[in-house]
Amino acid sequence: MLAISGLRAGYGRIEVLRGIDLAVADREIVTIIGANGAGKSTLLRAISGTVGNRSGAMDFAGNDLLRMSVEAIASAGVVQVPEGRQLFGPLSVEENLQLGSYTRRGRRGRPAGEKMKEVFALFPLLEERRAQQAGTLSGGEQQMLAIGRALMAEPRLLLLDEPSMGLAPLIVREIFRTLRRLNEAGLAMLLVEQDARIALSLAHRGLVMVRGQVMLEDSAEGLLGNPEVQAIYFGRHAGRGVSGTEGG
Amino acid sequence: MSFDQFLQYISSGITSGSIYALTALGFTLIYNSTDIINFAQGEFVMLGGLVAISMHEWGAPLPLAFLVAVALVGIVGVIFEQLAIRPLLSAGVLAQIIVTIGASLAIRTVAMLIWGRESLPLPPFSGDSPIVILGASILPQTLWVLGLTLVIVVALQLFYRRTLTGKAVRACSVNPTAARLMGISYSRVVLLSFGLSAAISAAGGVMITPVSFMSYSAGALIGLKGFAACILGGLGNPVGAVAGGLILGILEALTVGFLPFSGSSGYKDGVAFLILLVILFARPQGLFGRRTVEKV
Ligand SMILES: Nc1ncnc2c1ncn2[C@@H]1O[C@H](COP(=O)(O)OP(=O)(O)OP(=O)(O)O)[C@@H](O)[C@H]1O
Ligand SMILES: [Mg+2]
Repeated sequence: MLAISGLRAGYGRIEVLRGIDLAVADREIVTIIGANGAGKSTLLRAISGTVGNRSGAMDFAGNDLLRMSVEAIASAGVVQVPEGRQLFGPLSVEENLQLGSYTRRGRRGRPAGEKMKEVFALFPLLEERRAQQAGTLSGGEQQMLAIGRALMAEPRLLLLDEPSMGLAPLIVREIFRTLRRLNEAGLAMLLVEQDARIALSLAHRGLVMVRGQVMLEDSAEGLLGNPEVQAIYFGRHAGRGVSGTEGG
Repeated sequence: MSFDQFLQYISSGITSGSIYALTALGFTLIYNSTDIINFAQGEFVMLGGLVAISMHEWGAPLPLAFLVAVALVGIVGVIFEQLAIRPLLSAGVLAQIIVTIGASLAIRTVAMLIWGRESLPLPPFSGDSPIVILGASILPQTLWVLGLTLVIVVALQLFYRRTLTGKAVRACSVNPTAARLMGISYSRVVLLSFGLSAAISAAGGVMITPVSFMSYSAGALIGLKGFAACILGGLGNPVGAVAGGLILGILEALTVGFLPFSGSSGYKDGVAFLILLVILFARPQGLFGRRTVEKV
């Protein structure tokens, strides 16, 4: 469904991605793990088109993503849940969700109200808070809203940038359970995470990214059992879920 | 000053204040979607008045002249964005602000070539026999100005609160990148903001022309007062912009009324500058501005 080869991208003269090869199949969850600054977010931004200078090849179900605008990429069904959620804080929960369905305007999409019901079924907390300003939600609720907003766009491939960031372990587990259900219903995902353990427990395959390049690629089980991956990515972040908690 | 005189001054203050409010609203729409302070805003007001005058001269009834002027100037706003603002997108906001100053001079020059240097009149929307309210005689045009301003402000709020396009504009002013990730075309939102902003300010220009005439050079002062109204109400806050405009208009009118010497109307224009200075020193976020206040 998504096929990327030799992707290079960066900011101004700084090259961050130095030749990335990556594929996501139908119904597949692929996770990218890597340290701070490895270029994981840049990779998702390059796919969505918010990083300017890109080169290489990037195909999504027959669409040449390199030649499409940010808006067109979203409309084609590649929808990102960005790092730090990036909600429309002063707008209400409901308005954030409505804007998620913006891409489907004038197309043969399902009615926004119907989709919103599905999102509320996945995240009942959001329905209780539908009139509240998005910026006043707790961290966990904000992440749910960010995912819900993306789902409103009827994605075919969901790009997720660190959905566990800053959340209590209980909330993280709940969100990942929901992601699994969405995947079982057929949604493909590209998941960027620092919490390698939980990412690999959800994903089918994983890539390890180091300084803008893919160093290792394997099945999720393979990476979970890889001593090197365990030493570098489990050791350092093992405490993250416990100490770095907030909201919920 | 007697009470009916006081009412008289208030009503004339509300009339010009409404125009400042619409001009300030124009500033706000552009500022919220682009961070640009458009120093050509007053020229849209001026163009609105002059286009309506020409339409009326060619035999168009006043309501039609009003609508054509608003629509035409709205288109001018769109062209202005394409020609002057869009090419400087990568040069940054400061360059864009500077180009609005140049564009304002260009628009003024073209207006002078088309309409000449004279101040031109437009008849009031429904006659000029005053209506007496509480002993004060009020021109029907005052009611027109107030009523139409109210309609525009309410319509704009409904647009932003109720329609998906309006919500998309608000989303863009909060977080353009996230909006684009949701498939909202930021460049189209910017275009829309310039068109709406120009149209709203033009409406103000048509309404005020029956009261104070219009000339090619009138836009500069109105623009400056609209800007002062924005600063007074808190830059980026549409409710503040409208309130700031009305307060400024009323303060100006009362200055004329209370200053004891004749010819004090000449000092009226100083009020806007004084307010601008005082607010910038004492309360830069404006009367209604808060850092957290929602833009648009
Ligand atoms: N907007 C930007 N302009 C310039 N350089 C940037 C920008 N964003 C990121 N970078 C740089 O690109 C590199 C990769 O950043 P990126 O955000 O993609 O890393 P990451 O893997 O997502 O890290 P993290 O785990 O901290 O989110 C870093 O060196 C960073 O400093
Ligand atoms: Mg990142």
